[in-house]
Amino acid sequence: MAGNNGGPWGGGGNNGGDDNRGGGGKRPGQDGPQIPELEEIVKKGQEQLRVLMGGGRGRGGNGSGGQGGQPGGPALTKGTIGLGLLAAAVVWSFASFYTVKPEEQSVELFLGKYSQTGNPGLNFAPWPVVSKEVVIVTRERTVDIGVGNRGGDAGLMLTGDENIVDIDFQVVWNINDPAKFLFTLENPDLTIQAVSESAMREIIAQSNLAPILNRDRGAIASKLQELIQFTLDSYDSGINIVRVNFDRADPPKEVIAAFLDVQAAEQERDQLEKEADAYANKKQAEARGQSAQILQVAEGYRARVVNEAEGEASRFTAVLSEYQKAPDVTRQRLYLETMEEVLGNVDKIILDSNTQGGQGVVPYLPLNELRRNSGGNN
Amino acid sequence: MRKSTLILPIAFVAVIVALSSVFVVTEKEKALVLQFGKVVAVKEDPGLAFKIPLIQEVVKYDDRILSLDTPELQITPLDDRRLVVDAFARYRITDVNKFRQAVGAGGIRTAQSRLDSILRAQTREVLGSVNSNDILSVDRAALMKKIRDGAAAKARSLGVTIIDVRLKRTDLPPENLKATFGRMRAERQREATDERARGAEAAQRVRAQADRTVVELVSDAKRQAEIIRGEADAKRNAIFAKAYGEDQEFFQFYRSLSAYRNSLKGNNSTMVLSPDSEFFNYLKTATPE
Repeated sequence: MAGNNGGPWGGGGNNGGDDNRGGGGKRPGQDGPQIPELEEIVKKGQEQLRVLMGGGRGRGGNGSGGQGGQPGGPALTKGTIGLGLLAAAVVWSFASFYTVKPEEQSVELFLGKYSQTGNPGLNFAPWPVVSKEVVIVTRERTVDIGVGNRGGDAGLMLTGDENIVDIDFQVVWNINDPAKFLFTLENPDLTIQAVSESAMREIIAQSNLAPILNRDRGAIASKLQELIQFTLDSYDSGINIVRVNFDRADPPKEVIAAFLDVQAAEQERDQLEKEADAYANKKQAEARGQSAQILQVAEGYRARVVNEAEGEASRFTAVLSEYQKAPDVTRQRLYLETMEEVLGNVDKIILDSNTQGGQGVVPYLPLNELRRNSGGNN
Repeated sequence: MRKSTLILPIAFVAVIVALSSVFVVTEKEKALVLQFGKVVAVKEDPGLAFKIPLIQEVVKYDDRILSLDTPELQITPLDDRRLVVDAFARYRITDVNKFRQAVGAGGIRTAQSRLDSILRAQTREVLGSVNSNDILSVDRAALMKKIRDGAAAKARSLGVTIIDVRLKRTDLPPENLKATFGRMRAERQREATDERARGAEAAQRVRAQADRTVVELVSDAKRQAEIIRGEADAKRNAIFAKAYGEDQEFFQFYRSLSAYRNSLKGNNSTMVLSPDSEFFNYLKTATPE
């Protein structure tokens, strides 16, 4: 807490130590007798420093490094000084020049105050006056929500109709203002996560379950992105939400079987209807066939009856025209021919009724006996 | 020579003194200058600042937006249902002087626990004064704003500005979860049963209609067939009437002959004849009377 200067000041202390060491090396080479005095001064200085700095700065260490450099220290020549200066210059430029890659941006602070944003390429920030921080800007970072990041039910959210839905989504973000990003939020990842979850729960709470599961997902994702972006902008965070991947919106696993059963039922309903249609088509086709058959049979009957009638009628007409030419002879002939044919085919019993004088055929009854006898005789 | 030997240490000490009398405040922080524990200066803007070495010390505080998550709370809204709520706040130390006085040397940790209790109390108060349905479904923005405003007023004495309070979870407690799942299942079952019943209904309707269509088609065909037969019979009668009507007496004779021929076919009939019949005219004598 107290006096804990961050940033360049720790480095500054170390550098002071380096200078000190150079100085320490310089003295003994020049004046032997005065070394003790110098040592005392140095020691006093160290003590003062310890008091000043609360003993927390590693100064003492550097001081003793300076002492260690005394006995066999290098001779102080212009060359050594030059070399030392050169080395210091090299170290300094290493600390002051830095490169920024195309996907990065740097933020430069002049004595802790924001001065400018560095562009890709070689940048110069004269240490220790200007410090810098380099941030990867274009890289997309992701925050996952609902994927078991805080126990199993992190993705369970309550809908407006008091159902529960299991949601996973991913927020993809990048930095659009590195200065704001660095100086505004203490914990950007955690903030994005919390804001995203809150926004999603808010949106889900205003919607019913059914549309969340299917048709409204696109709308929810864009609404969500808007809400997260709006909240982060209100913090002045310099964060840009690239997109929201709405990975999953399912019923919770405890009830998923029931949801699947609904789908099965829909299929079943469809199947029942299709089967009924098939039955109907089959039966109706059969009926049409049967109808056609009935009609054809009737038409056949019509043709047969009419044809037979016409045939018979024309036969009669033909016979009639012959008969009209010679009626007596034809009549006789037809009669005789018919009788000949008829009597040729039947059993005949010729009884002379005159012999019995009116008694007729009675004595010869029953006729069946008579028939049997005659059959037996034949 | 003496001077030259002294220059370096003096310069060194001077540098040390200079370094310990300046300090840098960056964009991320604010600083307090304390003299024997008393606040003598507040440094809010980033940049270089001065202090007297040895007797003044610098305390720095984070000037960024800090986060605070409350643990889950069980709250009881007006209608006595229980809800599990968790909220988070985003706040900033705006008045370092007040902040220092309020939390003393405990710093952020002490502030966090104070804010936590403020936030909890405020959340309970606001959410306890509305119905659970308002919390669960209606636009929460208003509720969150209410909590924020209340908490911000209380946090002002800490030198802290509460920027935003958001509700994350507003859920039913775990013991209600089972009931909710049960209800969801029941709703689905109702839907599934309804779906199947509708399927069966539609199927039955289609089948019945098909059966009816079959009956209609066949009976219609039969009707037409009877009409055709009737037409055929009528035509037959007409044809016969036309032909036989030309000579009725001859028709009787001719048709009778043909009837004898047809009906006395086969040898299943026995005729008892008298030799007197016309057919036997010449059976006894060559010249009939």
